[in-house]
Amino acid sequence: MIKDLRKELDEGKISSEELFDITVKKAKEEQDKYNSFVTIIDKYKIKRRADSILKGIPYALKDNISTSNILTTASSNILKDYVPIYDATVYRKLKNAGAVLVGKTTLDELAMGGTGTTAATGVVKNPWNPDCLIGGSSAGSAAAVALGIVPFAIGSDTGDSIRKPASFGGVVGFKPTYGRISRYGLFAFASSLDHVGVFTRSVEDAAIVTDVVKGYDNYDMTSLKDDGKSYSEELDKPLTHKKLCYIKEICDIKEYKDSEIVETLTKFQKLLDECRNNGFQVDEVSIDRRLLESIYPVYMIISCAEATSNNANLTGIQFGPRGEGNNIEEIMFSARTKGFSELIKRRFILGSYILQKENQEKLFLNACRVRRLIVDRVNEIFKDYDGIILPASGKGAPSFDKSTEQVTDGQVILENHMAIGNFGGFPSITIPFTFVNDMPVGVNITGRAMEDDIVLHIAKEIESITGLKGLKAGDRNV
Amino acid sequence: MIEKDKLKEYAQKLMFDMDEKEYETLQKEFDVIIRRMDVIDKIPNLHEVKPMSFPFLLDDRSLRNDEVGDYLTVGEVLSNAKHQVNDQVKVPKVVEE
Repeated sequence: MIKDLRKELDEGKISSEELFDITVKKAKEEQDKYNSFVTIIDKYKIKRRADSILKGIPYALKDNISTSNILTTASSNILKDYVPIYDATVYRKLKNAGAVLVGKTTLDELAMGGTGTTAATGVVKNPWNPDCLIGGSSAGSAAAVALGIVPFAIGSDTGDSIRKPASFGGVVGFKPTYGRISRYGLFAFASSLDHVGVFTRSVEDAAIVTDVVKGYDNYDMTSLKDDGKSYSEELDKPLTHKKLCYIKEICDIKEYKDSEIVETLTKFQKLLDECRNNGFQVDEVSIDRRLLESIYPVYMIISCAEATSNNANLTGIQFGPRGEGNNIEEIMFSARTKGFSELIKRRFILGSYILQKENQEKLFLNACRVRRLIVDRVNEIFKDYDGIILPASGKGAPSFDKSTEQVTDGQVILENHMAIGNFGGFPSITIPFTFVNDMPVGVNITGRAMEDDIVLHIAKEIESITGLKGLKAGDRNV
Repeated sequence: MIEKDKLKEYAQKLMFDMDEKEYETLQKEFDVIIRRMDVIDKIPNLHEVKPMSFPFLLDDRSLRNDEVGDYLTVGEVLSNAKHQVNDQVKVPKVVEE
């Protein structure tokens, strides 16, 4: 936990150099088995004049965040040798705070995936069971925190890319309000849905790290003015916002036959009872099933369309491996054919199809319309409730042989509802709440836009109910 | 089912290619995805709704003033380009001799 490390550093029980060496050693020891990192940093580097709670604390950054003079690949062959010449704002802030970078973490290629299996450097394995995936796209960041290599890691979240791997990894994953943390230097996937966020092992740590990296940034046109709050200090005050609801259509046990999902939902209802016993009001609300069933297609349409456009700059001309050919077009064609994996190409083609003139109205614009209807309905719920609480996944992480990146009819509302947080830019956090079949499962709390402090505060109260603070792979406290 | 040639046409526009097996996988996946997208059409009166492009309205935006600041050197800009000549990225000639 960050405060414990701070205390040890301040009391001279360990130096930040020693902490860095221990962290790098552990990162290297676990690398072959779990593949959390694309790059492990060997050289200790700290801003000595920094004065922050994070000074001397090691951390990891997702490899789609720009770091000058440090390889940044987005886990794609098309960027396999790309060394940025500028710092992302989130990295600059952590550097200025004296935090010590130990590695760049593996992700689903270009952050376009949800399994952690599509990185050019191989799959990321779940620290709770290496036969299972950890989820993605921020797979390596989740694994590095779950393994206890680093106390915190930075990720990005376009559909649930922080909050789903947090659930599968038994850690905390927090995506604040859209624009709260600058996106400058984050390789864009779908700009209207992309968020930067954090992985930690406690809600308090998530608040501490967010306090350091949030704030207005002139380099990000969607950056929010800072709210001037210290989220970690807000956690010490009494919580006065305790009205929660869950969505009936997602949590109705009768709808599911899978025994693990039934177990998760049963334990979820038990958690809600415990919340009620601890002073929360928890009610059931309803959302039109047609809207809920639209979440996944709306996400696919908007994200693939935006991604197709955002990644048009990957040509192998100014950066990335050069293709072969007799003219610029042939060179680009060759670089892109070799540089992108099959999955990425499939997503781009889908995006291109959606953006064809004849499909724009029916697909793209209608998806944007349904996005508004979903967000409006959720905002209506937020008039009466401080947060929506739902299971972050229907069960624990699937094993590799049961997972597929291909979209099948089996994907259900239960596994895709967290994209609501991206549609509306709502602050949203996943914390561990139970184990099913010996694998962790998280609970997700989403709140009103701009009320990041309240979402964190609610999560902290629930964390004290679950007793799963500070969980690391191998711990089994329930 | 969408025609494979159509998918190839989109890939060409995007400046990449795939092998036949990959096109077949995509063809099958497209079918599932397009069917799933039909859900959206079941929602009534959609045409009356204004499309949403960003999570919420950011109405206090203004363009920042131009200010002279740090800028990148030519060396930095070219540092990732594989082929260079005379401080520029080198590519094959566009105009034939």
